[in-house]
Amino acid sequence: MLELRELVKHYELVGGETVRAVDGVSLSVSAGELLALYGPSGSGKTTLLLMVAALLEPTSGSVLVDGRNISTLSERDASQYRLSELGFIRQSFDLLPGVSTLDNAVLKLLKNVPWREAHARMKPLLERLGLGKRLDQHAETLSMGERQRVMIARALSTEPRLLLADEPTGSLDTQRSHEVLGLLRELCRERGVAVVLVSHDPLAAGYADRVLALRDGRLDGHQPGGTPVQHSVG
Amino acid sequence: MFHLYRVRLRSRLLQECFAVIGIAAGVGLLFASQIASNSLSSSVAQLSQGIVGSAKLQVLARDPRGFDQGLLSSVRHVAGVRLAAPLLEANANAVGPRASRSVELIGADESLTRLGGTLVRHTRLAPFGGVGAIVMPGPLARGIGVTRFGAEATLEIGGHVSQAPLYKQLSAHEIGPLIDTPIIVAPLSFAQEMAGLRGRVTRILVTPSPGREQAVRVALTQLAHGRLNVTSTNYDEQLFSKAAAAANQSTVLFAVISALVGFLFAFNAMLLTVSQRRRLIADLRRDGYTPRAVIGVLLLDAAVLGTVGCALGLVLGDELSIQLFHSNPGFLSSAFTVGSARVVGAQSVAVAVAGGMLAAVVAVLSPLRDILSRDPLAAIAPRQLAATRTVTRWRTALGALFVAIAVATLLAIPRLAIVGMVALTCALFLWLPLGLDATLASIARLARKVTSAVPHIAVSELRAGRSRAVAIAATCSIAVFGSVSIQGAHGDLQHGLENAAHDMNAFTDVWVSPAGSFNLLMTQPFPATSLARLQHLASVRQTSVYRGGLLDWRERRIWVIAPPSTARPLIPPSQLVEGNLAAAGTHVRAGGWVVLSQALAAEHHLHIGDSFTLPAPRPSTFRLAAVSTNIGWAPGAIVMNADDYMRAWGSPEPSALNVLLSPGTAPAQGRRAIERALGTGSGLTVQTAGQHADKQHTLTRQGLARLSQIATLILAAAVLATAAAMGAMVWQRRPRLAKLKLEGFSPRELWGTILLESVLLLLVGCAGGALLGLLGQQLLDRALASVINYPVVRSVALPTALAALAIVTAAALAVLSVPGYLAARVPASLALQD
Repeated sequence: MLELRELVKHYELVGGETVRAVDGVSLSVSAGELLALYGPSGSGKTTLLLMVAALLEPTSGSVLVDGRNISTLSERDASQYRLSELGFIRQSFDLLPGVSTLDNAVLKLLKNVPWREAHARMKPLLERLGLGKRLDQHAETLSMGERQRVMIARALSTEPRLLLADEPTGSLDTQRSHEVLGLLRELCRERGVAVVLVSHDPLAAGYADRVLALRDGRLDGHQPGGTPVQHSVG
Repeated sequence: MFHLYRVRLRSRLLQECFAVIGIAAGVGLLFASQIASNSLSSSVAQLSQGIVGSAKLQVLARDPRGFDQGLLSSVRHVAGVRLAAPLLEANANAVGPRASRSVELIGADESLTRLGGTLVRHTRLAPFGGVGAIVMPGPLARGIGVTRFGAEATLEIGGHVSQAPLYKQLSAHEIGPLIDTPIIVAPLSFAQEMAGLRGRVTRILVTPSPGREQAVRVALTQLAHGRLNVTSTNYDEQLFSKAAAAANQSTVLFAVISALVGFLFAFNAMLLTVSQRRRLIADLRRDGYTPRAVIGVLLLDAAVLGTVGCALGLVLGDELSIQLFHSNPGFLSSAFTVGSARVVGAQSVAVAVAGGMLAAVVAVLSPLRDILSRDPLAAIAPRQLAATRTVTRWRTALGALFVAIAVATLLAIPRLAIVGMVALTCALFLWLPLGLDATLASIARLARKVTSAVPHIAVSELRAGRSRAVAIAATCSIAVFGSVSIQGAHGDLQHGLENAAHDMNAFTDVWVSPAGSFNLLMTQPFPATSLARLQHLASVRQTSVYRGGLLDWRERRIWVIAPPSTARPLIPPSQLVEGNLAAAGTHVRAGGWVVLSQALAAEHHLHIGDSFTLPAPRPSTFRLAAVSTNIGWAPGAIVMNADDYMRAWGSPEPSALNVLLSPGTAPAQGRRAIERALGTGSGLTVQTAGQHADKQHTLTRQGLARLSQIATLILAAAVLATAAAMGAMVWQRRPRLAKLKLEGFSPRELWGTILLESVLLLLVGCAGGALLGLLGQQLLDRALASVINYPVVRSVALPTALAALAIVTAAALAVLSVPGYLAARVPASLALQD
C-alpha cells in the first residue's frame, strides 16, 4: 500500500553544513498493517511523515501510495490526497473548542459530503469509539482519551487508505494509551487501513505488526510487533 | 521583576510591538480629536486675552457704530480706574494683490500697550509723522500679498474703501499663538478714519485699582446709562462658548466616541498578547511567585507598553491634527474673531495619555481573576466559551434598560442627549455578543444546507475565539454607531439650515451689502447713498433697506434680522415653531412686534403676546408675535421689521439693500446692471439671492465640516483598527491553519474561511452600530432642535447607515485580505512543530 524507495531528505544549513534528516529509507506497509516507527528526537521521524503526507519534497527517492508517486503531486492534488486518502492523528488535539464532538469529527468529511449525511455516517464510528453519549458535548469538556478518540474518528472519517499517527498516546496515561492503541489497531484491521505510527511510547509496539527503529535518518533494526520495544530504542 | 520582564520581552517582541502600535494609534486618535475640540475656544480666549492684557472690565457698544470717544475721559475720571484704553473694532474686508480676507480691524492707541496684552506688546500704536499704517500677522500678510513696508492693502469697511500702508508683519515671536488670527491693527485715529467712524470707539478696556473692581463696575454702569454694556473682559469668551455650544457638544460627543474607538484599538492590540500573558502567569505562579508579584510584573509590562505607545501616539495625534483637523471656524467667524491656530493644551495630552495607559492596564490585568485564583494554573485552564443562559438573560435585560433610558431621554429630556448616547453605547456592548451568537447560530444552520467545510470552520473559529471576536465587532460597531448618529444628524441639520437660508433669501432678488464673509449676517451698516443710484435702473422694480446685525443679550450674541416691511415673506415660513404665521407677519409688519427663537423666549419666560425690553442701543419694548427656530444661528435670533430696527438702534443706515428686479430681468443680468451702477470702489458686493444662499450654505457647511471630518476619521480608524486586530488574530492562527492544511484543506479554502469570519464579524458589528446609530441620530436631532433650536429636518439616515456599513466592511476586508492570503499559504509542516 505504502512504499518508500531510498527516500532521502537533506537540509543545507547556513554554514554550508548538510543535515541528513532522512538518509536512504526504504520500507513498505501493507493494507491493514500497523507499523510502529521508533526513534529518538532528531532521528528524522517527523521529516519522514511530512514526506509521506506530501508536505515536503524529498531530495531523492520516492513515496508510492498504491503505486502512485505522491512526491510529485501539485499542491492541489496533494491537498486532495491528504483529504481523501490520508488520515493524520497527532499528539496535540486539533479540536475546535466550542464545537461539539460530532461536528469536530465530521470536519474533514464536510468538504465533500452534506452535513446531514456526514453526521449520519460519523455517528456509528463515534459510538464504536465509545463516544456515543458525548456527541453533543463541546470538545473542551472531553477527557484527554476522549479527545484522542475524536481525532481518530476525524482521521478515519474520509475512509483513508493510509493513516499516519504522530505520538498518538503522548498525552495519555497507560490505561488510556492501551484503549486508544487497541481501537486504532482494531479499526485499521477492519477497514484495511495501513498505519504508520511514530512514537516514543514502548506500549505502541505491543499493538504493532512490525516495529522499526530510526536513528540519524536511517533505519536501525527491526523486530516483529506484539511486544514492547526496549527503552534504549525509544 | 525587571529581569523577568526583560526576559519575557525578548521572547515575544513582535506581539509587544503590535501592542505598542495599537496603543499609539488609539492615543493618536484621542489626542487629535482633543486638539480639534479645544482649538476653537482657546483661539477666541487667546485673542481676547491678547488684546485686554491686565484689564478686568470693559464698556461695550451695542452696535458696530460704537459710541462717542468722549466717554473715555469720563471713564478715566472714575475713582478707582487705574488704566483705560479705547478700542475700535470693525469687520473689514482686506484686499491685496494676491487675495482678499475677512478680518477684524482693531484700532487702538498707546494706552492699550500699557495693559500688556500679547497683541500690542511689540506694536507701535502712534501714527508715524501723521501717516496711518497697519500691522498684521505674517500669515495674513502673505495670504493677501501685502508683505513689504509701505505696500498698500485695500480695506473695505461698511461701504468705506481705504488704502492702508503696511508698517510691519507681526511674527509668532512677537504675538505668539495669535499669529493665525485674522486681525489688522492700526492706530485708533487711522482706524476711525478708515471705518468712517471719526471720534467713535466700540470698547473701553478698564483696569481697576486693586480691590476697587466692584465699585468701578457700578460707576461704569451708571455712566453707560443702560445704552452700553459693562462686562468683565472675558465676556467675548462667554458669548463664544454659548455660540459654539452646539459645535462643542457635538465635538465632546465625537471626542467620547473617538476615545472609545481609540481605547478599543489599544485594548484589542493588547488582547493579542493575552495568551502569552496567561502562560506567563501560570509559569510564575507555578514557580511560587505570589499574585502580588505577578501583578507587579504585569503592571510593569503595562507601564512600559503604555509609555512607549503614548509617546508615539502623541506624535501621531499631533501630526494628524495638523494634516486633518484644520480649525475651521466657518459661520462662527461671522460674529467672532477666531483664528485657525492649533492649540495643544496640557488637558489634551493628559486625556490622551490617560486613555492609553488605562487601555494598557485594563488589558494586561484582564486575567486578574486567574491571577488571584488559588489554582496556580487557573490562567491556562480551559474556560467556558459560550455565555450561560443567565448571562444572556441579564445582557438582554440590561441592554433593553439602556435602550429604554435612551428613548426616555429622546422623548422627555433631549438636552441630556449625551447621556442617551452613552446609554446606547452600553446597550450596544451588551447586545453585541448576543447578536454575534445569534448570527453564528443562524450561519451554522445555513451551513448545513451547503456542502462545504468553510462556513463550519468559520463559525467554529469565531466561537472558539469569542472574546476577541466580540472585541473586534465592538470596535467597528462603536465607530459605525458614532458615524451614523453624527452623519445622520449632520445631514438633517444641513438640510434644515439650507431651508432657513432659502427662506432668508426668498424676499429679494438681489442683495447689496458690504464685502466680506463677516457681512453675511449683515453686521456692518453703511451709508445709504447708493440707494438712489439703483432706484432709477430699468432692471430694478423696487429697492428697500434691510437692517440687521448682532446684539449681545446677556450671554448670547443673537442675530437680529430686520427685513423691510414690504418683504414677502417677512417671517421665514419654515422656521416658525409656535404661533400663527399670517397673524405674526401682520403684527411684525405693523411694528412693535417681534419673533424670537425658542431658547431666547424660554430664557426670558416670554409667551406669545408678552412684552419685553430689548437691550438695543436704545432699549425698546416689543411684544412677542411668534416663536421660531434659531434660523441657523446657535445663540438665537430675533425677527423685526427694518423700521423698528432703525428706531431701536438709532441709525437709519442699512445693513444691506434688497432689490426686486423688473419682470423679465434675469437675476445675473440684474446683478451686473447694479454693479455697473454702483461703480468700482463702492466697497459693496452685489449678489443674487441664489449666490447669497450658496454663500450661506458654504459657511454653514464649513462650520459643520469638522463634524464630518471627525466622523470620517472615526470610520477610517475603525477600519484600520478592525483590520489590524483581525490581521493579527489571523496571523496568530497560522499553526491552526497549518493543521487544517494537514487535514487536506487547500489554501484557497482557508483564505475563504478567514474572509468569511471577517465578513461575519464586520457585518454583526456594523449592523448593530448602524441600527443603534439611527436611534442616536434621532437623539441628536431632537437635542439640536429642542435645546439649541436648530432648524433640523428630521429623517432616518438609512442610506448613511448602509454606506457606513458597506464602507467599513469593504475597506476592512480589503485591508485584511492580504495578511489573510499570506496566512492561508502557511506551510502545513508548521502543524508538526509544537
